[in-house]
Amino acid sequence: MATPGTMIAAVERSASEIDDLDTLVRLHWLRVFRFAMASLRDPDAAGSVAQDCFLRAYRSRGRFRGECSTQAWLMRIAVNLIRDHARNRRLQFWKRAPAYAVDLEAAGQWVPDGGASPESRAMAKEQLAAVWNAAGGLPERQRTVFLLRFVEDMDLLEIAAATGMKEGTVKVHLFRALQAVRERMGRSQ
Amino acid sequence: MSQHLSSREVSQWMIGERTPQQEQHVRQCSECGAELARMEAALGLFRGSMRHWSSRQSRAEPPAVESILPVRRGPRIQPMRWALVAAALLVLAAVPIYRNVQDRQRQAEIARADALLLEQVDAEVSRAVPRPMEPLVKLVSWDFSATDGSDENRRDTTRNEEIR
Repeated sequence: MATPGTMIAAVERSASEIDDLDTLVRLHWLRVFRFAMASLRDPDAAGSVAQDCFLRAYRSRGRFRGECSTQAWLMRIAVNLIRDHARNRRLQFWKRAPAYAVDLEAAGQWVPDGGASPESRAMAKEQLAAVWNAAGGLPERQRTVFLLRFVEDMDLLEIAAATGMKEGTVKVHLFRALQAVRERMGRSQ
Repeated sequence: MSQHLSSREVSQWMIGERTPQQEQHVRQCSECGAELARMEAALGLFRGSMRHWSSRQSRAEPPAVESILPVRRGPRIQPMRWALVAAALLVLAAVPIYRNVQDRQRQAEIARADALLLEQVDAEVSRAVPRPMEPLVKLVSWDFSATDGSDENRRDTTRNEEIR
């Protein structure tokens, strides 16, 4: 159990971490970028979102009071930026063909080499493709919660802090997302 | 608990919501255990593929802080901002001066026009005969300047004597 002393130390550590942008970027860039990639599935957009996220975090570092972890705070900024970006993209009346479509397709069929039989590899690929497709088709909040839980390994409280939702709401969204994924997996079998 | 886990219960299990009865059932039921393992494996694969895919991107590497912070280029922007402010102030200060100069010029022109008009009026007032009669005056060349009252009287007397 965390004592008041350790909690204060954690807050001070987080605050100093945010003041030092170099450290902040070095420690958290990959996670923020990965989450943006998983949400937007566009490397350029994900890079821009990650960059904006760190810039905003640095500019508003005075408002960070250590109520949540640095990670959750950064993710909260990223969640808002991704939402804005997705809305703007929806409003664009012209759509350019994504240059990374082939890469995306390959990523959806990625299965690590583990000496598995061709049959089980094929089955794993099918299931993976089903999860990829299902995750891509989820409503915004469900997708955010799903990715934070199953890609970023964040627990429910951290997700609640990152999304600004209550823990119960996070559970509801996660449950619905899982049901959609399971349904898709069932269909792919 | 003898029944298999329903689809809802499997999803709840994945969130971490499970009862002791469900846990006991899963330990004993190979079918439910396999279903949960299949689900966990699929989500694990998804996590792995997403991480693999994003780590392969060129932008996955943390960038230099200078590229994130346009604020650091501030000193170059700051003089520019001050120059703009100074230019705006100059314009604001120049407008009343320009207007003042214009007002003065306008007043001087009015004064000049007034003076000209007054001169014309003076000229009209001091005329010996009205303007329409001026051509007649030129025809009759009276020399008022060379005569006075005594000469005229003398001329009249001579003329009277001749008549007599």
